[in-house]
Amino acid sequence: MNQSLIRIIFIIFILEGSSCFAQSWSSPIKVFGFFQTSFYESMHLGGSEDYNTFNTQQLNLFFQKELAKKWTSFVNFEILNNFSSNKQWGSLNLEEAWIKYYAGPQFTLRLGLQIPTFNNLNEIKNRTPLLPYIVRPLVYESSFGEFLALEEMTPERAFVQTNGFIPISKSKIDYAFYIGNSPNINDNSLYDQTGIDTTNTLLYGGRLGFRISDLKIGLSATYDKTNAFKYLEPVVNVAEGFLEKVQRTRLGGDLSYDFHSLRLESEFIMVNYDDDVKELKFDKWFHYFTLGYFIDEEVFLYYSYWYTKEFYNYNNPASSTLDIKNGYIKVVVPTVGLSYHMTERITFKGQAAQARILDSEEFKLLEEHKTENIFSLAVSVFF
Amino acid sequence: MYIKKVLFVILLLCGSGYSQVAIIANKSVKLDKIEQAELLDYYSRDLKFWDNGDPIIIFDLKVKNEIRDIFYKYLGKSSSRMKSIWMKKMLLGEGDPPEPLDSEEDMLEKIIETPGSIGFINAELVTDEVKLLRIINDED
Repeated sequence: MNQSLIRIIFIIFILEGSSCFAQSWSSPIKVFGFFQTSFYESMHLGGSEDYNTFNTQQLNLFFQKELAKKWTSFVNFEILNNFSSNKQWGSLNLEEAWIKYYAGPQFTLRLGLQIPTFNNLNEIKNRTPLLPYIVRPLVYESSFGEFLALEEMTPERAFVQTNGFIPISKSKIDYAFYIGNSPNINDNSLYDQTGIDTTNTLLYGGRLGFRISDLKIGLSATYDKTNAFKYLEPVVNVAEGFLEKVQRTRLGGDLSYDFHSLRLESEFIMVNYDDDVKELKFDKWFHYFTLGYFIDEEVFLYYSYWYTKEFYNYNNPASSTLDIKNGYIKVVVPTVGLSYHMTERITFKGQAAQARILDSEEFKLLEEHKTENIFSLAVSVFF
Repeated sequence: MYIKKVLFVILLLCGSGYSQVAIIANKSVKLDKIEQAELLDYYSRDLKFWDNGDPIIIFDLKVKNEIRDIFYKYLGKSSSRMKSIWMKKMLLGEGDPPEPLDSEEDMLEKIIETPGSIGFINAELVTDEVKLLRIINDED
């Protein structure tokens, strides 16, 4: 039955596609993009050294082409942190490469590498001209990857996605469903082909939303299985393969509301691991809210508050017996900032934030609690 | 008596500055009238094709003026909010922003010559070469 359905859908696409090509619908390739350059001053309260730095944080280059009526292709290259292969700085990534079929507002299909819809920010987290922030809300800030498990918090890649909206009177029901790889991506060329999922599990996810006037709310969820904790099998005394496919669910919620000159944005993300081992706890939590005010059409002032709590387990590598200790790291960041759209293509930004990194009292993961004051200025340019 | 005359002149002056905005479309568009929600769907690029499959072409005015202000007020979005919606769609590969035009005369001309197009001008400029879909007042 399922195979028949897939065949029918395939035939519809082929027929639709061939009729479109027959009309010789074509458009020139569009090349556009943006970059953001910033000045960043970090002042640590106790311990670490202060520093300041200029940085071309990000440059994205897009290629878009209408291939046929209702068929669009899109490629997105992302270049990070003063990229230089010569000096081994930063990185160059293929972020997206997809083809889209737009059947109508109720149904769009995207095939290929893409950033999946999850809450409000995931899809646009790297589109700096759209964001008032220089330092983005924690789990969306790639430079925090050294102390936060970013890839565990949000789905980063999908390969098939359908989305659309259904109008009901003056409101709209949004939906998105997607499939991608599970998190078990090989990154060691000694063992196998890199970038390839090494398991036979997949990521499934989606978002259901509701829009009316200037209010937008949504619920997002993903489901996948990870083998990241397999190394703990001997120490928690379970059979080999018991932690081969630990189920992971992410649940998220988002809310956006514009009221006159005020804007409220908020999200939460909850990550749960169902490992069936009571000693293990890897669950994670994140929330943020931003309250902003448009001083005029070009100037946006905001206050934002970000919070994460991530549980970790630790077992003494020298011990061959169960010696699991549970702990957590909390990161709390209140921040204020301002963005100024000088023109449609140039945005200046300023931001001050205080990041406090704390851990559990009973089990210390950090040598000391850290507080970092961050001051940053940036210009974001769309070209 | 003198005061009444002054008030009358002031009212006349106010009246003469009062503008109505016309939502117009190319003759090929299969619509006779339009509601605010529908117009917002077109301008926010939520709807990109007419029922017959032709693309919906929208235009905007480059320069901020009273006509543009009345139009955006009717849409229920500030021009900065609309720009942010268009920028988001564009950066996500979901559609292009409207072509900004220098004047209402340019917009009228473009709509006359572009099948599937829709836009807005001062109601006084409307001709029978375009379809008039709606007149909006500042109070709407």
